[in-house]
Amino acid sequence: MAEYKMESLKTFNYDRPVIEKGYANQTLCIDISDGVISIKPVTEKMKNVFIGGKGFDLWLLWNAVNSTTKWNDPENAICIASGPMGGTPVYPGSGKSIVTTISPLTGSVIDSNVGGYFGPYLKFSGFDALEVMGKTSKDIVIFIDGIDEKVQIFKASGLPDDSYTLSAILTEHFAKGRPRNISVVSTGPGAKNTRMGCLNFTWYDLKRKRARYKQAGRGGIGGVFADKGIKAIVARWDTVTTKTNNPANANTLKEVGRKHSREVVELDPKQNQMAQIGTTHLVTIMNDFDLLPTHNFQYGQHSEADNIGQEVFRRIFDPGYDGCWMGCTLACSHGVKDFVPLTGPYKGTKVFVDGPEYETIAGCGSNLGIFDPHTIIEMNFYCDTYGLDTISVGTSTAFAMECFEMGLINETHTHGMNLSFGNRLAALEVVHQMARGKGFGQIIGRGVRQMKIIFSRDYGADPDLMQDIGMEAKGLEFSEYMTKESLAQQGGYGLALKGPQHDEAWLIFLDMVHNFMPTFEQKAEALHWFPMFRTWFGLCGLCKLPWNDVIPEDNKDTPEPAKVMKHVEWYADYYTAVTGRQTTPDVLIRMSEAVYNFQRIFNLKMGFGQREHDNIPYRAVGPVKAVEYESRAERYDKQLVEKNNVDITGKTTEEKIALLREFREKLYEKLKDAVYKRRGWTNNGIPTVETVKRLGIDFPEVLELLRAYGVES
Amino acid sequence: MIKVNGEKHSWYEGMTIKDLLKDVNNSHLYAVIRINEKHISRPYFEKTLVPDNSEVFLIPMIAGG
Ligand code: SF4
Repeated sequence: MAEYKMESLKTFNYDRPVIEKGYANQTLCIDISDGVISIKPVTEKMKNVFIGGKGFDLWLLWNAVNSTTKWNDPENAICIASGPMGGTPVYPGSGKSIVTTISPLTGSVIDSNVGGYFGPYLKFSGFDALEVMGKTSKDIVIFIDGIDEKVQIFKASGLPDDSYTLSAILTEHFAKGRPRNISVVSTGPGAKNTRMGCLNFTWYDLKRKRARYKQAGRGGIGGVFADKGIKAIVARWDTVTTKTNNPANANTLKEVGRKHSREVVELDPKQNQMAQIGTTHLVTIMNDFDLLPTHNFQYGQHSEADNIGQEVFRRIFDPGYDGCWMGCTLACSHGVKDFVPLTGPYKGTKVFVDGPEYETIAGCGSNLGIFDPHTIIEMNFYCDTYGLDTISVGTSTAFAMECFEMGLINETHTHGMNLSFGNRLAALEVVHQMARGKGFGQIIGRGVRQMKIIFSRDYGADPDLMQDIGMEAKGLEFSEYMTKESLAQQGGYGLALKGPQHDEAWLIFLDMVHNFMPTFEQKAEALHWFPMFRTWFGLCGLCKLPWNDVIPEDNKDTPEPAKVMKHVEWYADYYTAVTGRQTTPDVLIRMSEAVYNFQRIFNLKMGFGQREHDNIPYRAVGPVKAVEYESRAERYDKQLVEKNNVDITGKTTEEKIALLREFREKLYEKLKDAVYKRRGWTNNGIPTVETVKRLGIDFPEVLELLRAYGVES
Repeated sequence: MIKVNGEKHSWYEGMTIKDLLKDVNNSHLYAVIRINEKHISRPYFEKTLVPDNSEVFLIPMIAGG
């Protein structure tokens, strides 16, 4: 174990409040520049409008930053919150934390929903949310001790940089013999040296006797954390029971919790088997439907996809209970035991790897032309250990590889590295370079948007071509689904508040495979309802997987099977049982609408949040290059002829690509119109005064901002 | 004899998944099925044979990610 020192700089004692109906009713604010620690009350208005979780985070962040705040300014805050239901052990998927900050990739607000014990332990320690602002040149560790009712700031020296060992050391350091009482938030050297740093949130695995972690991956939150000089934030709490959250009606809560838990236990083995194989089942399914991104989203299928599918990971995962929160019966957070990396600082050492999930397999595997599970697991391990987001790493490396193969960049730029698709050692070396902030990996670590600027400015690469094939929107790299044949999912990505992440809307199957939404109005309705309901999970401290990854057997006979309304009704009952506030499914949507619109307006405050910011690269819409078109020529030709009445006789591939592009880009703009209308926004994508009034977010500063953009009643 | 979602179901030589789904209500909702441990998606329903004594699970897949 490393020699390290922790010197206490500040101790703040407090009286822990009793949790009332899921709320601690106060938040913790720590300014690390001067070590000032304070407590802020949570008002009834805050609870009514923002509910909790991401809603509280956004409100705290909105008040902390101004319109010119940059990600690395001291006033930028990292906000972490659970939610009123967060920390409930009897309902599956009830331990999420939501993190927000101003992102180094997008320049606007980013949010990430993550497992592990931190959010619930923070709340039970007395705080619905934590906001950390300021900056320090020291390495500090913040310790929130709910058992001894104190918050401490330590100056740390000698601690390891990487998150894997750091999490283990800090768990032991603060545990006082009970490691399950500890949750550590940390990052690694990759976060310092790139724009795509993630945060690791731990939970303690009693059976395997080790701290394990989940990632708040998207948008470079880890970079903000590292830039502030924070080594780790640690929470300590005691035993958790249903009573700890002091629900309004414990009996109803237990009843509805048991129903959902029982259903998961009964049906998951018959359906996706997530308790055994996590989300890896998606790999071959996506491949079968031409939706698995390969070679930088050029294609959706590859003959070797089976090599990285569920049948392989079923054998590789270490069997056992893998819930990232207590009592989650879906327990999908699997890992690989005794893995031995072939490269890097852990080369030849046995390690435990948390993951991989589907996104990592697709991002660090198929999208790079890599179909070897060992390499994917090693990329997964080092990304987590270095504090890097596997999705941004994958999508950014895929872009660099395509640029390399097209000759837009060459070995002079990559410092001799052969970045061809499928080069496993090169992909791993990129990750190590990102951690060191050296070599070409350091350029890739700036993300797709910056690479486009650098390649064009410094290497003379064609900016228009890179605009088409660089898979980012709003500055954030796309997560790992092909969208060319699903207009609704193009909207799911392009119209998402933070950038192209599928947590707002995953409509590919509903749209493309089931054809549930053939009209624009139906797509717009789906792009209203689904983002709203998915937002709601982040307000309450919940995981969305138990909602629609386990489907009741009678769901197919319901009027709207896509919404899984039986579960939505259970969630309404769950909310009522915890908070005591009577609710219905429609009210849940209305809760999210307020926060969702507020986040859109937050984007506007930061200089974004208008129609032009919802644009997506053409690669997400249709084939950019002749090889892409020709690989699926029958499909595209048919669409040109049957849907668009084009006579394709004698037309070259380039002419057909141009025609298809014209049609498809028009459809995307039409989709924007329909969605904006459905959401109560102007044609420029800004919520109207009527909308903000209806949702109770018509604060003076909101109205003033809308006025500045010409939106008045 | 095979089992479909836990219920016994008759089987015949040469039965494909597409054939099997003719006996299932609202079968259009199933784009993925699992035979024992192997997932098979709709594009392969027509050419995939269901083996005798297999356990078939109809996966109502509407989510992901
Ligand atoms: S379903 Fe998976 S990700 Fe969600 S809470 Fe349970 S273990 Fe965690």
